[in-house]
Amino acid sequence: MAILEARNIKKHFSGVTALAGTSLSCDKGKITGLLGANGSGKSTISKIITGVYSADSGDVFFEGQKVVFKNPLDAKKAGISMVFQNLSLAPDMKVWENIVLGMEKGKGIFLDNADARRISREILDRLYPKINIESKVSALSPGEKQIVEIAKALTVKPKVLILDEPTAALEQEQVRALFRYLNELRSQDIAMIFTSHRMNEVLELCDDIVVFRNGENVGKLDFSVDKKDPDRIVEMITGQKADQATRKVYHDLPDEDILEIKQFKYGNLLEASLKLRKHEILGIGGLAGQGQELLLNVIAGAVPDARATAVVDGKEVPLKSPKTAIRNGIVLVPGDRNLEGLFVDNSVYKNIRIPKLALKGQPLFTPDKKYREEAEEIVKRLNIVTSSIDNPVGNLSGGNAQKVVVGKWLPFDIKVLLLADPAKGVDVIAKRDMYELVSKMAEENDLGVIVYATDNDELISYCDRVLLMFEGRIVAELNKEEITDQNLVAKSMHMEPKEASV
Amino acid sequence: MTETKKSPFLPKIGKLLKSPSFIVICILIVMLVITASLQPGFFKPNTINSNINSFAPLILLTMGQAIVIIAGGLDLSIGYATSMMVVILTNVMQKDKPESAIPAILLAFVACILVGTINGLCVGYLKLPPLIVTYATSYIWLGIGLFIAPSPKGTCIPWVRTFYTFSAIPNLPEGLKDLSKILAPGFWLIVIGCIVWGIVRRGRTGRYIYAVGSNRENAYASGINTSKTQLKAYILCALFAFLCALFYAAQNQSGDARMGNPLTLKSVAAAVIGGIALEGGKGSVYMGIVGAIIYSIVTKIIFFADISSSYQTLVAGIVVLLAVSASLIFKFIEKREKLKVVK
Repeated sequence: MAILEARNIKKHFSGVTALAGTSLSCDKGKITGLLGANGSGKSTISKIITGVYSADSGDVFFEGQKVVFKNPLDAKKAGISMVFQNLSLAPDMKVWENIVLGMEKGKGIFLDNADARRISREILDRLYPKINIESKVSALSPGEKQIVEIAKALTVKPKVLILDEPTAALEQEQVRALFRYLNELRSQDIAMIFTSHRMNEVLELCDDIVVFRNGENVGKLDFSVDKKDPDRIVEMITGQKADQATRKVYHDLPDEDILEIKQFKYGNLLEASLKLRKHEILGIGGLAGQGQELLLNVIAGAVPDARATAVVDGKEVPLKSPKTAIRNGIVLVPGDRNLEGLFVDNSVYKNIRIPKLALKGQPLFTPDKKYREEAEEIVKRLNIVTSSIDNPVGNLSGGNAQKVVVGKWLPFDIKVLLLADPAKGVDVIAKRDMYELVSKMAEENDLGVIVYATDNDELISYCDRVLLMFEGRIVAELNKEEITDQNLVAKSMHMEPKEASV
Repeated sequence: MTETKKSPFLPKIGKLLKSPSFIVICILIVMLVITASLQPGFFKPNTINSNINSFAPLILLTMGQAIVIIAGGLDLSIGYATSMMVVILTNVMQKDKPESAIPAILLAFVACILVGTINGLCVGYLKLPPLIVTYATSYIWLGIGLFIAPSPKGTCIPWVRTFYTFSAIPNLPEGLKDLSKILAPGFWLIVIGCIVWGIVRRGRTGRYIYAVGSNRENAYASGINTSKTQLKAYILCALFAFLCALFYAAQNQSGDARMGNPLTLKSVAAAVIGGIALEGGKGSVYMGIVGAIIYSIVTKIIFFADISSSYQTLVAGIVVLLAVSASLIFKFIEKREKLKVVK
């Protein structure tokens, strides 16, 4: 019998159906993979189970009893721990303080810090011993923060552990460590629900999978009976016949550089130089957090301290501010689009209009009508799904919001388009649309594109050339047919002998 | 502080040299040296005594302010709250009736709890912006103070005066009187404040104050009652204002509802000088003491430097601005440290 079961859960958010009478269950000692495109209701059902949201209707049964939790801490105390996709850490506090946060044990009127340190050390020793429990969370890498978040869920030994995309921020080595630990927990009869966008991880780790589509449970595969068939799973997720992770059809590139970044050095963080040809889509890959995003920021002029110089279409440009970069045709689509790329409370129109103000020689009063027509045209051209251009961007889906970030640069004479992890938080279909749009733009508008992607499939399917980074340096270059999964993984793990001792 | 025994001594020193507190303490030492060279007899017990007493009110208020700032708030009503409590104390007390001090102190304490609760409810539960809330409530405290004493008036009975000087008590043994000559009552009030915060800091509330200030939503997601935590921070802050009010009542022996006004922004500036970041979650309440001393000494040096009194506030303003910008050095150091993280 299932230890945890959610039956017929319905949930609406301001008129939009998030869950339409959906059920989900998990068993002791099993890892259930929960798959689905973005907005399919995966996170919502987990949040309903743990009391973040309350369901409109439907029941949750835990160990045979009907339960309703007031908040996640309540659920945690009862034995259902959840690792959230958005971290819940206090950045200014130490690792051990964070791990026990909200669950502190007292010792008289004071807190039992010795015990808290012991618990934290114990969990991390088994999970990922490299983290120093005395360091501040703000000093950790994104992967390490995620590990601390996982450790936090384990301070009270749970009966059910729900992990919402725990591997998104992790490096390969950390994923290994996490899987080892999850396997250990499985042998201790703990039930787990594991959400991930990465197919190979789900296939490797899970005993069975459940697929959500548009707020409905569309099917279950039990790997003790069913075959581990990625194509079939993709078909279940998308509802369409699976698109193979196809290799890009390479075109001949014009023999003309659109961008050259001269060799520069930024502290110990980054040392690089690169060339980009017209129409070329250059991928930047490697393990997460090896300086890829910083490199894009340098090219976009956002890191003046790096004192880098670019040659754009034959013209030398010092990369001293985003304004200089934009005026010379280098534009960035940042990784965190809600924080860096958009004004989410403002309308689609206002978001598209805003970069125009960076141009020289704008009239004192903005000619609204002209700009609105321009915005309408962009929305039409990029197929942005929105009720009107006055709709706040925050109401759009991830994929459409991403298109707005790209679209706002269209009225400019762009020469180089930089994309930082454009597929992050975007579902399979939107991801494909996104890349097709970018490929088309590269050819039609004579652009060069640099894209930092965390998913190897994106590098294989859409890039002409890939640079792999390791510890702030470009360590390998792969051309066309050399871009294979194996090559990418192998070269990403690049280790120079001198670093081996670190 | 929390280093394990295993760590070798030298790296620990290195870490200390880079810590923001170290820089602040260095500034303090430099300031002390300058003052000592300007003020004759700086190290005489009497001078130390009077210096401590003149610094004590700002130190107490800065500690309270620091707690609220660390919890992610701000208290712009702290000055008028203090003077309101002083007015209550000095006007409930009646000359020649020593027993009237008890209701006076109790009433002031009730006022203190009310101040903290009202500020805390508005910020913590109604989620109104602290800047606006406490600016508004400051005028409520002023209004109440003016209602009780439209012009400065009131009295203070002798035994309550111990909060300012021990010699006010008639039958005190000589030994204790000597003690008050070396270590003024202001010092003891600060010690009480330190003990209160020391206990809170090591308990759940102290931990949560830092967590809420560091990131309110994440603290909430961790199951912390963030509203209650902010309420507690404001009540603690009001307690420090209460200690300060006792001191003022004993010192001035009358109540002026407007007296506290300049102290408000001074306490914010002093906290920032002490390395407490206005965005919350960072810094130490004890370093607020150091910040307050630096601030007070600045004014003192200007006084001794023989600058025409008409320019004194001007110079003081510039010096404080410089001291606050010095806190940017911390951020610079932090940034440089981060550059070194990746090998």
